[in-house]
Amino acid sequence: MHSEKQKHAFEPRIIAFVCTWCTYAGADLAGTSRMQYPSNVRLLKFPCTGRIDPVFILKAFQQGADGVLVSGCHPGDCHYIAGNFHARRRFAAFRKLLEFIGVDLDRLQFSWVSAAEGGKWVEMVTELTERVRAMGPMREFRELALEEQWSGALDAPELKEAYNSI
Amino acid sequence: MSRIGVFVCHCGENISRTVDVERVALQAGKLPGVAFATDYKYMCSDPGQNLLKRAIAEQRLSHVVVAACSPRMHERTFRKAVESAGLNPFLCEMANIREHCSWVHEDKEEATVKAIEIVGMMVERVKKNRVLPNITVPVTTRSLVIGGGIAGIQAALDIADAGHEVVLVEREPSIGGHMAQLSETFPTLDCSQCIMTPKMVDVANHPRITLHTYSEIEQMDGYIGNFQVTVRKKARSVDEAKCTGCGICMTKCPQKKIPNAFDCNLGMRPAIYVPFPQAVPNTPVIDRENCTRFKTGKCGVCQKVCGPGAVDYEQEDRLIVEPVGAIVVATGFKLYTIEEKPKGSPIKGYGEFGHGKIPDVIDGMTFERLASASGPTGGKILRPSDGREPKQIVFIQCIGSRAREKGISYCSKVCCMYTAKHTMLYHHKVHDGQAYVFFMDARTPGKGYDEFWRRSIEEEEAVYIRGMVSRLYQKGDKIVVMGSDIAVGVQVEIEADMVVLATAVQPQVGADTLAQKLGISYDKYHFYSEAHAKLRPVECATAGIYLAGACQGPKDIPDTVSQASAAAAKVMTLFARDKLEREPIVATVKEAGCVGCFYCKKVCPYGAVEEKEIRDRQGNLVKVVAYVNPGVCGGCGTCQATCPSKSVELDGYTDEQIVAMIEAL
Amino acid sequence: MTTIDTSIYSAVTEAIRGEAQRTLSEGLVTAIVGYAAARRKGSAQPIVITNAADSEKLIFSPACVNNLTVYLTKAKKEIPKTGRVGIVVKGCDLKALVGLMGESQLKRDEIYIIGVPCAGVLASTVQPSQELTSDTIASKCRECGEFLPQGCDFVPGVEIPAAPELEKNYSAEIARLEALTPAERWAYWREQFSKCVKCYACRQVCPFCFCEQCLCDRNKPQMVESTPRPAGNTAWHIVRAMHLAGRCAGCAECERVCPMDIPLNLLNRKMARELKELYAYEASFQVNDKGPLATYDEKDDQSFIK
Repeated sequence: MHSEKQKHAFEPRIIAFVCTWCTYAGADLAGTSRMQYPSNVRLLKFPCTGRIDPVFILKAFQQGADGVLVSGCHPGDCHYIAGNFHARRRFAAFRKLLEFIGVDLDRLQFSWVSAAEGGKWVEMVTELTERVRAMGPMREFRELALEEQWSGALDAPELKEAYNSI
Repeated sequence: MSRIGVFVCHCGENISRTVDVERVALQAGKLPGVAFATDYKYMCSDPGQNLLKRAIAEQRLSHVVVAACSPRMHERTFRKAVESAGLNPFLCEMANIREHCSWVHEDKEEATVKAIEIVGMMVERVKKNRVLPNITVPVTTRSLVIGGGIAGIQAALDIADAGHEVVLVEREPSIGGHMAQLSETFPTLDCSQCIMTPKMVDVANHPRITLHTYSEIEQMDGYIGNFQVTVRKKARSVDEAKCTGCGICMTKCPQKKIPNAFDCNLGMRPAIYVPFPQAVPNTPVIDRENCTRFKTGKCGVCQKVCGPGAVDYEQEDRLIVEPVGAIVVATGFKLYTIEEKPKGSPIKGYGEFGHGKIPDVIDGMTFERLASASGPTGGKILRPSDGREPKQIVFIQCIGSRAREKGISYCSKVCCMYTAKHTMLYHHKVHDGQAYVFFMDARTPGKGYDEFWRRSIEEEEAVYIRGMVSRLYQKGDKIVVMGSDIAVGVQVEIEADMVVLATAVQPQVGADTLAQKLGISYDKYHFYSEAHAKLRPVECATAGIYLAGACQGPKDIPDTVSQASAAAAKVMTLFARDKLEREPIVATVKEAGCVGCFYCKKVCPYGAVEEKEIRDRQGNLVKVVAYVNPGVCGGCGTCQATCPSKSVELDGYTDEQIVAMIEAL
Repeated sequence: MTTIDTSIYSAVTEAIRGEAQRTLSEGLVTAIVGYAAARRKGSAQPIVITNAADSEKLIFSPACVNNLTVYLTKAKKEIPKTGRVGIVVKGCDLKALVGLMGESQLKRDEIYIIGVPCAGVLASTVQPSQELTSDTIASKCRECGEFLPQGCDFVPGVEIPAAPELEKNYSAEIARLEALTPAERWAYWREQFSKCVKCYACRQVCPFCFCEQCLCDRNKPQMVESTPRPAGNTAWHIVRAMHLAGRCAGCAECERVCPMDIPLNLLNRKMARELKELYAYEASFQVNDKGPLATYDEKDDQSFIK
């Protein structure tokens, strides 16, 4: 019954930040229902989306994530009353900042996935993985990490000249 | 240096079918800090757990990672096992390689690589896990019940019968609430006072119930298990200790023409009064606004005639601080009236139905008082305007309720049933009378309810007209009610002698201010919000505060009593031990870094953050920092994500743990 | 080029001096933080005076660019520990002051606010002796709509001359960047951030960077790389902009002090615009109990969430 798996040249790394009560449980349900989705995603469990610091998203990109998924309880379902409402504002602002810096927001997905929405979880992961796969690797942060302390472009004429004169 | 043990479970074949568990264990064993790694068929089985316990002892393990199913499934199991082997349970983490890996992927290589990475992440995380001792909070096993209606009475009696002290606070001079006003109750038609007054007396006589009537909540401090509630005992002008309840003051009071609110202003009472004869406590109160003594200084009859010398004009409000561990809020409801339209309220009046303008248009509660044997008419249904018996009576349902354009979109739940009851009571008392009911839908879920409603039509001859009333006006001594019968499609016009409006059930006046004092949330109508609509229907989001009765939403008596007993059971659960134990997943403040911007306090959904002064040895204020009360903290971590300097940290989900996981990728 | 009328500044200077003289001699305040003339022609520098006789040193001129509120919090070394402190603030500075009150860093009754009616100050890139014109005015002043501070203890009673219509640099630059592709924007900021030497002057001068230990200085865990390399620089500026979102009052001090001329305020202005659009929030003269990111509305926009 196993369908022939398509091999891809590029397999993106997807990191998902999820709350334990809704999305983590939704992902569990996808498992118990034996739904299939790309294996590119790695989950980090938080008590609540309210705990998810924007710095973690930044850190994930710096650590080589090609796509990030942040997912929690639907509005009104938060186990902690209002954590997801606070998170919603925080991320609404943060994504605008990332966009302005030049991060393609197609790499950053936010969703509400409840404990009953195993199917939606699969859909979210599959969609993001495929979209990011088509976009190719997230080079921006990785290139920064590779750059040396020199504060100009490496192919700057002054630098070349200096090099040639040695 | 950590000595981590990694235990990879096959889960029969559930994991091992798609994940090469041996390879996972082999790879895990190579990770820095891992001292022992193995795989086993069923980790959760007894032999599996024993394997784990033995390894902890033999390998002197400092941390444990169990790579198996979801932590939602077996985290508790393995943490218990780890604890029994002498390690702190929070030094054990689970790597979910079943639900999140073997069950959702088919390719064995892919799944195995993913499983290795998941285990790697959890190994890095567990290195940063700290020993977390369980948190214990002392509990004062005394409770406060706010509101002395049937909900409050039931909760107070249940808790007191379980052996705990209860303080019952009631705003009015007597307990009893709305149920004491009712004539008969649906669906059994038993007399409300007959079933209510014994309970009231039980409260009065109970050795473990302290009753504060004519009192209100002034202030609340503290948290679950440790509340300090300040009760304002309003000046009654009568010494409760001295008064014998003989009632001579009331008979001698020269002021006798004050409308009695208990009788919906149909009857009169003196200035020194008890609201109704069966009042508990049976101690009168002086209505200072209407008392001649207080208005002009000239009277003092009651003081002269009082044998025990209980009347005290100098009495002042007293503030009493009650230390309690739990609070039950049972403040009940009021009926929507146009006179009481509060300022700024979105709710508009119902002027078109003449309530408040036409004397014989009354609300349901007024009808209850007319029908009550102890009411102002001695149980005769008589018109307030001229005292005649109404021969044609019209009941109109859904007045205010389910009218989005009027500001109330909810169903008041009890009106269908009490209107059916009213038609029966009317038919029993006025044999030649005819009752008409205008209704939108009849909502009769409940044991014996639909049968009761059918009886009002089939046996008690009430005529139900599906449709709303379009116009209502006074014509001579009749009230003309015009409406449409949408079932038949004709216009109906009835010349009625009396009209009874089933007005909406609303939260009590001041429900919002009380909620603000208690720190509980409420909806746009000011009904109090439960922590979870389905699974925590009697708890507030604020720990240690519970809800009972119509203050949470419209409810009939059986539902109210059930919820009151449920709230009491919650209180007793809390009181079952003198210390409250909770999972140590709470936020703590690192005072050295905290600069007191209180963003944590602003975002905390639980109100768990307090301000704490740091002083030097000379007592000079150094700074004000945040303090998280571990008894109140819900453990969401919103504070930490908000804190600019990360000076507040959620145990179990620290930045170190999370960053370690991200960096492991 | 249009000359901007700053004729009121001499009357403002007189009024500030008079008020300083009065409040200090009456003991109403123990110190006043204001501006004084500096050595270079036309330049100004912050000063703390504790003596009524020193009131004559106070000035207000187009060179009074500093936001002095920072001297009330983390840079309060020279401020007496007891008594009420007076401070001279422009409209933009007052918004920062008010923000600090909302964040429990300052108490209203402990400060005496001398508000300055302001027609604008000079850009940091021009000589302090230059005339204030549509070319030399600071970028923040081009988009300022609050020339007269409100809610102060004292404001000189002068008529502010009508301001000429000025080109809005920030808005134009934000619009230009927004029109680019993400990759082009990234290239722009990569270039900008690569200049950063991590001197943290922006942090030092910012009234809102009052944390005792900055998140970016922490090493357990290291959330932001601390070396002045492109990766760490970028992370630092993103974190900084995020931490200031909903708080920044727009004094533009970060941009003024940056030795590498990174357009830092551009990030802050962009965030301010977004928060205004999303939650109708703007820094103002009113003390706000909760900023836009410390509160929520159940009906908040969530079109970006699936």
